[in-house]
Amino acid sequence: MNLNIDAENELTYDAIVVGTGISGGWAAKELTEKGLKTLVLERGRNVEHPNYPTATKDIWEFENADRPTQEDLKQQGVQNRTGYTIRQSTKHWFVNDLENPYTEKEGKRFDWMRGYHVGGRSIMWGRQSYRWSPMDFEANAKEGVAIPWPVSYNEIAPWYEYVEKFVGISGQPENLPQLPDSVFLPPMELNCVEKELKKSMMDKFGRMLTIGRVAHITGPLSHNESGQRGNCQYRNLCSRGCPYGAYFSSNSSTLPAAAKTGNMTLRPNSIVHELIYDEKLGKATGVKVLDAETGEQLEFYAKVIFLCASTMGSTYILMNSKSSRFPNGLGNDSGELGHNIMDHQLGVGAGGEYDGFDDMYYAGRRANGVYIPRYRNIGKDKRDYLRGFGYQGGASRQGWSRMVAEASFGVGLKEAVTRPGKWTMGIMGFGEVLPDHRNFVEMNYDKKDKYGLPTLSFDTEFHENELNMRKDMKADAAEMLEAAGIKNIYTFDNPTGLGLGIHEMGTARMGKDPKTSVLNKYNQVHACKNVFVTDGSFMTSASCVNPSLTYMAFTARAVDYAVQELKKQNI
Amino acid sequence: MQRTALVLGYAISGPALMGIMNGCKAAPELTYTPSFFTKEQAETVSELAQLIIPKTDTPGAKEAGVPGFIDQILQECFTTEDQQRFMTGLTEFEADMKASFGDTFVYLDAEKQTQAFQKHHDAAVEAARAKPSEPKPFVLMVKELTLLGFFTSEPGATQVLQYEAVPGRYTGCAPLAEVGKAWAS
Repeated sequence: MNLNIDAENELTYDAIVVGTGISGGWAAKELTEKGLKTLVLERGRNVEHPNYPTATKDIWEFENADRPTQEDLKQQGVQNRTGYTIRQSTKHWFVNDLENPYTEKEGKRFDWMRGYHVGGRSIMWGRQSYRWSPMDFEANAKEGVAIPWPVSYNEIAPWYEYVEKFVGISGQPENLPQLPDSVFLPPMELNCVEKELKKSMMDKFGRMLTIGRVAHITGPLSHNESGQRGNCQYRNLCSRGCPYGAYFSSNSSTLPAAAKTGNMTLRPNSIVHELIYDEKLGKATGVKVLDAETGEQLEFYAKVIFLCASTMGSTYILMNSKSSRFPNGLGNDSGELGHNIMDHQLGVGAGGEYDGFDDMYYAGRRANGVYIPRYRNIGKDKRDYLRGFGYQGGASRQGWSRMVAEASFGVGLKEAVTRPGKWTMGIMGFGEVLPDHRNFVEMNYDKKDKYGLPTLSFDTEFHENELNMRKDMKADAAEMLEAAGIKNIYTFDNPTGLGLGIHEMGTARMGKDPKTSVLNKYNQVHACKNVFVTDGSFMTSASCVNPSLTYMAFTARAVDYAVQELKKQNI
Repeated sequence: MQRTALVLGYAISGPALMGIMNGCKAAPELTYTPSFFTKEQAETVSELAQLIIPKTDTPGAKEAGVPGFIDQILQECFTTEDQQRFMTGLTEFEADMKASFGDTFVYLDAEKQTQAFQKHHDAAVEAARAKPSEPKPFVLMVKELTLLGFFTSEPGATQVLQYEAVPGRYTGCAPLAEVGKAWAS
């Protein structure tokens, strides 16, 4: 008997965090810093800063000029749908699709891009970091779309500030109502052509162009507690992992902070596939874990559980946690669990060439572009669709690859290539996708992954609002470039599935009413108070800005609330 | 069949014999052991690459290992369809060398090689401009792979172009005269 009790004690913690990406890292940091003994479970392998295997290699150290082989594409064909993720330098950050299958409803793509390792997608993320605006939080209620957000901008604003001071966001204050400023580190510079476009857009359209707001260290960071964060070196090799810790990742930032408290136990190779629900207590008492290395089935217990396993990961765990109280998945009294999948629609925009600034160039590789904040459906502007979009893009001078299409070869080519080519400028839209009950994910018990666990099946597509918006995303891009004197303009509109924005969200949305939502305003499961979900699944709408900063702010706020509730013995 | 005939053609006449018969130069030395190409195909592609990026006061395609790069990337990264397109293009290219210039590419003298390449290259550049969505003609496939291999090699990136492993700063607008050469990446 005593042995059993001892064993259980070893497996019992104050808190469990599932996942180590952007949200899990923040949950781990906040919980441990508040003194909770916290078990952090990660389904993939361990990755410790600054040990990123390809981070300091030069291009000539990779086989095949860093291109994927046919064998790579066989193993990771779905992960390569982006066209940029499966490279010799980065492929180890993305899952093997043969080992980790999922199902798409016939004729409807869902592009699920992910990596299973400590740090999750915080290693490969785009680092673009934007606050939501009051307008974003109010839109659902005003327009009668889906359900209202239970949180206002004013409630979350202090938490944005809280996380920004730790993360370090480089950017330019612009004082725009639709894109509130963060607490900024110095902005990166625009180049000559980007400055031209900025001026033209303001003069001719009254629209803003600003430098991208990115989670990079560009100046003194007040905290720098980890000692692992250094200034950006402008190598633009971020997605390999940054040995300088110049951009924010769980590995360089939150997990070291959590480890420093002495309160964190990090357990990689631990696949959480189910929550343990105690019907009498009306609480989740722990998690069921499959050890990915040994195949062992384990259980761990805690007073409070934070699901930060990514939108689809956390949704999977909830859907797979069935009990007589929750026959349709834990917390799913509303029937909304797995529904309302959103993303950002992209792959549409325009580009062209700029004549001029032949005597101007740039130095260093800026791992950032320009940002054009949303201007549609703001003020007097009214479109035949709801919400809006922003653009990301940039200008650069053509390099050696332009020579393929040019008439020269031999000595002439070798000489000509030493001069940079024409300036080119391109912008791509990131459009808001509305929450729609028809876009959903469900368990697939017929198809199993390599561990014998059930998998996910997606049924999603873009609807009328997205498709109407997309027309503007293309036409406006061309119009603004043309107005700035860009020549030889081309437009592009490449079809994607939902998911290709790698901003999937919405499958366990928060709301005031438990009948129509899974979580309350503190990311707490309405019907199971000691379970919190703080990854993208909580999102009630999508805005058009990159979501990670918002996940961080909500995670920190949810932990603060959870610890207060624990102290009050409410959970 | 075309390809087989070409290979047989080599086997029957023999490179040395052909060289003597045509009064042309001897077979070029291969700088690597091909895995995807036959020896003869490898020689042609190797010479084409060197014609596109010759050795000057900086290394050329061969010195940068481009021929071996092309052999490997075709084998490992190309779909079967694209491999076949390349090989068909190579066979047709050689057929035209024989028909129009009297010998396989590697045995033509330097002037004829340049003339022959120029003819195919001009036509290919023209075709690619007219129909940018069509797959690239053979000589542009070779050119693209040559440039890719060369400018991602250490000599190409650091000696012909300019490369900084760790720039340490970003300057958005700088006079070209101060920056110097084009960046490799």
